[in-house]
Amino acid sequence: MELYCLEAETVVRARPDPNLLGDDRVLQSLLTIEERFLPQCSYFKCVQKDIQPFMRRMVATWMLEVCEEQKCEEEVFPLAMNYLDRFLAVVPTRKCNLQLLGAVCMFLASKLKETRPLTAEKLCIYTDNSIRPQELLEWELVVLGKLKWNLAAVTPNDFIEHIVKRLPLPEDKLDLIRKHVQTFIALCATEFNFAMYPPSMIATGSVGAAICGLQLNGTNHALWGDNLTELLAKITNTEVDLLKACQEQIERVLMNSLREGRRQQHKQQQQDQTNPRNKALDDQDQSSTPTDVRDINL
Amino acid sequence: MMSLPGRGRVLYAGCRRGVGGSAQCCLFGKVDHEQLQRDYTLLMRTELEDASRRWSFDFTTNRPLVGGDFEWVVLPESRVPFVYQDRTIVVKPQSKAVEPASDHTKEDVPKTPEQCDENTHSAEKHTLKRKQTNITDFYQAKRRVVTTRKTGQ
Repeated sequence: MELYCLEAETVVRARPDPNLLGDDRVLQSLLTIEERFLPQCSYFKCVQKDIQPFMRRMVATWMLEVCEEQKCEEEVFPLAMNYLDRFLAVVPTRKCNLQLLGAVCMFLASKLKETRPLTAEKLCIYTDNSIRPQELLEWELVVLGKLKWNLAAVTPNDFIEHIVKRLPLPEDKLDLIRKHVQTFIALCATEFNFAMYPPSMIATGSVGAAICGLQLNGTNHALWGDNLTELLAKITNTEVDLLKACQEQIERVLMNSLREGRRQQHKQQQQDQTNPRNKALDDQDQSSTPTDVRDINL
Repeated sequence: MMSLPGRGRVLYAGCRRGVGGSAQCCLFGKVDHEQLQRDYTLLMRTELEDASRRWSFDFTTNRPLVGGDFEWVVLPESRVPFVYQDRTIVVKPQSKAVEPASDHTKEDVPKTPEQCDENTHSAEKHTLKRKQTNITDFYQAKRRVVTTRKTGQ
C-alpha cells in the first residue's frame, strides 16, 4: 500500500469559536488593551529624519503585494504594519534600511499568525536580493527587542467578527462584507494617517464603509446612515463624531486609490502605444495588475 | 454596487517589476551592508546595556551589578530546575527557512536521535552548528541566580 502525504496542500485554520465571539468580555478586553499596541508618537515629526510619509506608503504597498502574492492570512499585513510603526516610533531608521524593516516585520507577523510562515529566503528574494537572509535574522532580533517581544498586538481584524455578529446583516452577504472590511483595513494600514487610530475605530469605520458601499441598507432601517453609525459606535464604545470622520476618511482613501489605479492604467496604455517593443512585458504586467476595479472579484 | 480595488496591485506601480508581475523589487536603492552591520551592532549593544541596567546584571561578564533594583543570589546548580541549567542543545534544523541556502546539503542529512542529543557545556559545538543568531549570543545568562525585587514594577 502506498502512503500519500497531502499535508502540503492544506492550511490548518482554527474555526471561529462561538464561545469567544459570543462573550462580551472578549470584546471588552480587546478594547481595554488595544491602546497598548499603538505607536508611541507620530514619528515623522519627532523621530525620523531620513524617512518620509510617502516612503512608508511605498514599503507598505510592497508588503501588501508580497502578502497577497504569498496568500498570507489576512491579519499578517496589518500586524506587520503595526510592528513597523512601533519600531519607527522609537528607532531613527535609514531610508535604505526601510525595506529590510518591512521584510522583518512580515517575517515576524507571518510566524505569529500562520501555520506555514514566510521564509527568510523568500522575503529576501522579494527585496530583489538587496538584503541577505542572515541580515534579516539579525534584524529580527533588533526589532523583537525594540517591540519588547510584545508581538500579539490587537489589530482591526480582531474586531471584525465581534462587530459583524452584533449587526442585523443578511446571512448570505456576510462573506462579501467580511472581504470588503478586510480590504478597507488593509487600505488603512497603508496610510499613515490611520497609524495612530485605535484598531477598534478602524474596524468599526471599515464595517460602516463596507455596508454603505455595498448598499445593504435598503431594507433594514437599523442600517441607514446615522442609525448604522450610532449602532456601530455603541458596539465599540467609539464617539459617533469620531467614527463618522473615520469612515469618511476611509472612503476618501478608497476613492484616491481607485483614481490612482485608473491613472496607472491610463499611463500604461499610453506606454503601450508609444513603445510597442515593451508590449509583451506590459501585457504580462497588466494581466496581474487589474486596474478596472469592477472586474475584480475579491 | 461599489467595487473594491485589487489592493496593492492597484495602489502601487512605483518600482520595476520582477518576472510575471511579481512584487520582487528593491525599493530604496542599494543597501550598504557594512553600514547595516554597524547599525545592527550598535543597536544590539545599547539593547544589552539597557538590559544590564534594568536587571542590574552584566550579561557579558555574567556578574551582578551593585546598586540596582535587584539583589542577585547565587544558587547551587542542583537547586535550579533542569530547564534553567546551562547547557547546549544541538537540534537538527526542521525548516530550511532560517538556514542559508548554501548549507542545505550539509544540514539536511537526517540524524539519529543520538546525534541530536544534548551536549552539556559544549559551547564550541554550539557555535559551529547554529547559523541563526541566538539570544544567548548576547545574553549569556546562566540563570543560576534568582531575583528578589526590592521595588515593584
